[in-house]
Amino acid sequence: MRDFRKLQAGITSRPVSRRSLVGGATMAGMAGTLGAYGARAQDATPVQTTPTRDISGTSLSILQWQHFVPVWDTWFEVFINEWAEANGVTLQLDRVNTADIPAAFAAEIAAGQGHDIVEHIASLPQYEEAVLDMTDLVAEATARHGAQLDMCKKNSFNPTTNKFYGFTHGYAPDPANYRKSLWTEIGLDNGPSTFDELLSGGTQIWEEQGVQMGIGMSQEIDSNMAAQAMIWAFGGAVQDENENITINSPETLAAVEYMKVLFESCMTPEVFGWNAASNNQLLVAGQASYILNSISAYRTAMEQQPETADDIFLSLPLVGPGGDDRALAHGHAVFTAMIPTYAENPDTAMEFLLHLTANYQAVVDESLFYNFPAFPDTYSALIEDGGPLDNDPYGSNPPDKLAVLKTANDWTVNLGWPGPANAMIGEAFNTFVLSDMMAKAARGDVTPAEAVAEAETILNEIAQNWRDEGLMGGGE
Amino acid sequence: MSIPAPAPQHRRQRYFFDNERVLGPLLLFPAVVYIIALVGFPLILAVLYAFSDVTVGDPRIRGTENFVGFENFRDVFNDGVFRKALRNTIVFTLVSQVFVIVFANVLALVLSADFHGKRLVRFLVLLPWTTPIALGVLGWFWMLDSVYSPIDYIMRRMGLLGPDSMFGPGRNMYWLGKSDLAQAAVVVVHIWRTLPLATVILLAGLSSIPQDVKDAANVDGAGFWRQLFYIRLPLLLPIMAVATLFSLVFTFTDLTVSLVLTRGGPVNDTQVLSTWAYFKGIQGGNLAQGAAIALFLLPVLIAIAIGMLRLARRSEND
Repeated sequence: MRDFRKLQAGITSRPVSRRSLVGGATMAGMAGTLGAYGARAQDATPVQTTPTRDISGTSLSILQWQHFVPVWDTWFEVFINEWAEANGVTLQLDRVNTADIPAAFAAEIAAGQGHDIVEHIASLPQYEEAVLDMTDLVAEATARHGAQLDMCKKNSFNPTTNKFYGFTHGYAPDPANYRKSLWTEIGLDNGPSTFDELLSGGTQIWEEQGVQMGIGMSQEIDSNMAAQAMIWAFGGAVQDENENITINSPETLAAVEYMKVLFESCMTPEVFGWNAASNNQLLVAGQASYILNSISAYRTAMEQQPETADDIFLSLPLVGPGGDDRALAHGHAVFTAMIPTYAENPDTAMEFLLHLTANYQAVVDESLFYNFPAFPDTYSALIEDGGPLDNDPYGSNPPDKLAVLKTANDWTVNLGWPGPANAMIGEAFNTFVLSDMMAKAARGDVTPAEAVAEAETILNEIAQNWRDEGLMGGGE
Repeated sequence: MSIPAPAPQHRRQRYFFDNERVLGPLLLFPAVVYIIALVGFPLILAVLYAFSDVTVGDPRIRGTENFVGFENFRDVFNDGVFRKALRNTIVFTLVSQVFVIVFANVLALVLSADFHGKRLVRFLVLLPWTTPIALGVLGWFWMLDSVYSPIDYIMRRMGLLGPDSMFGPGRNMYWLGKSDLAQAAVVVVHIWRTLPLATVILLAGLSSIPQDVKDAANVDGAGFWRQLFYIRLPLLLPIMAVATLFSLVFTFTDLTVSLVLTRGGPVNDTQVLSTWAYFKGIQGGNLAQGAAIALFLLPVLIAIAIGMLRLARRSEND
């Protein structure tokens, strides 16, 4: 069997056997972690799907990101081993920190060999030429489980090449997390619902209660997403539906000017030096009035600071000058599996992804509702009234704290919306063009207008490079 | 009793291994293969990438249609972040090396003296060098954390941080959120990282100064400073240059410190060439431009390498 682990320094390798997983220590650890959140969700015992192809005797190697809800990783190991055993497949599962997935994948592409599935929490459109077209897989999953969310499709489909460069099986909603007691103190019991309220309320909380706001402008992914969501709410966009760069607009300028005022009114310089975990940390430490994040921040607080967790509530994306329709958020994480062109067992990989999709209720439950399905019919009860989000089985206080997520499918859009998630936006996110634009203006390095103009120049150059590669439209 | 003459085959073997023309290349061969495979080949590949249009998704060079001349270098040089990264790389390297030279000399002099606990101190001085760099920098990252920094905690307890204090009213210094502090942090970590190596090299140099020279100086009544400036430092100069050049190369090419500590932020103010090459080439997918950024290091590193070799040869001749 190939051993890619030796080739990749820093990769956490975990060859697993079912026996070792069912062993006492692992299960005890799993039970302990779950215990921190209360009882398990409703019964969602995985069912074995019947492969449409003969995959017996093949092998499957997966390079996967370490889940932000660690108990999910433990559950997944059991889940995939049961599938492998039932289908006679030899399994190798390797996990790395999500930030290291692109580099590990790049190394495999350069070597021309590696895992059969590479899964990341974001689209990697800039890697499109190295992966197989997943159109057939998406069609099969759609036939079995109903339509895929448009947001998930756009996160993995390139209209220029007409290729599904990934299979997005789920996503994590990106609501706001706020401290209810702080906002109640200033008369906003349900937290801010508009950007005006965010500014006035956040300023008041900072001045009267000494608690800052935590919206990052750093060189990391959450800051990118916050900047993009703010641009949308003010009516702007990085690109249009046809992939033309449209960032230099009065709407974007208004968003950047707003961010500058917001920083000066109720934030500290730490937001320029954050990593992706910093806003979680600030919230859990009880030192943030409001952050933009998935429920992982709240779940972390439940485990580490239960009293703070009781005071953390979730809210919808804020309404800005762009109106209700532009109150949007990214998928905080978009679980996208890619099958590289060098994969030795692509059929086995596709069969497993279909099996995973079929069992998405278990995937969602075991992630403590961090994962949401890309194929909503696989777990339609999730967002129904009276469903698990109205009565969190993992111990939320009050139990309906997650109910705000029931509409997440409506306000979550893809990377690069209203255009597709293309290589331009992929490179822009990974070189921090948007968060740097906000930061430069907020720090006073340049004027907001200069910051927007500079971002436009950079984005146009990036876009032109990818158009030259034939991977992106627009530009006519 | 006569000693039997070796068999013809043994004679041939002995001749073979005694012949310097044969043995020299034979012993060098593994090192040459190693260098060609792990240094030469990637270097050639990087040069080819830098003049091509390859991406991380398709790194193959199929033919001349992939080559774009100096286009990547032009694009890279027109990029403000690149220019900032180039400046940061040079400034961080030079500033940290000035401190390393001074501190390494002081430490080497202290450690060459006899005192109780000398072995423990030597061990502690060497510790940063033995720690994997990523772990060491992660430790610094936690110490400079924006919420839980123990340095900030101590400053608060001492009344240096907080309302009406010397360093302002905030609870924290925000070491990695302010550009000047973040840049200082990167320099400090580089000093912490390379100081042990320079110290050990200088320590070896100090111990190689002949005892009779020191005795003669003592007999002549030369004090500490006179001995330092007229005997020790001049004799140490060649080895000090070697230590400096090693440290320069390590610092100039380092990726980990900026990547782990700041990811180049705030607003690219701690971005260095290696991190920008990584973000642009690997994370961003523009492999050709990433290679072009990385290749800007090459002329400097070649110059440093030539300097090192010349120094080594001069020391050998001396």
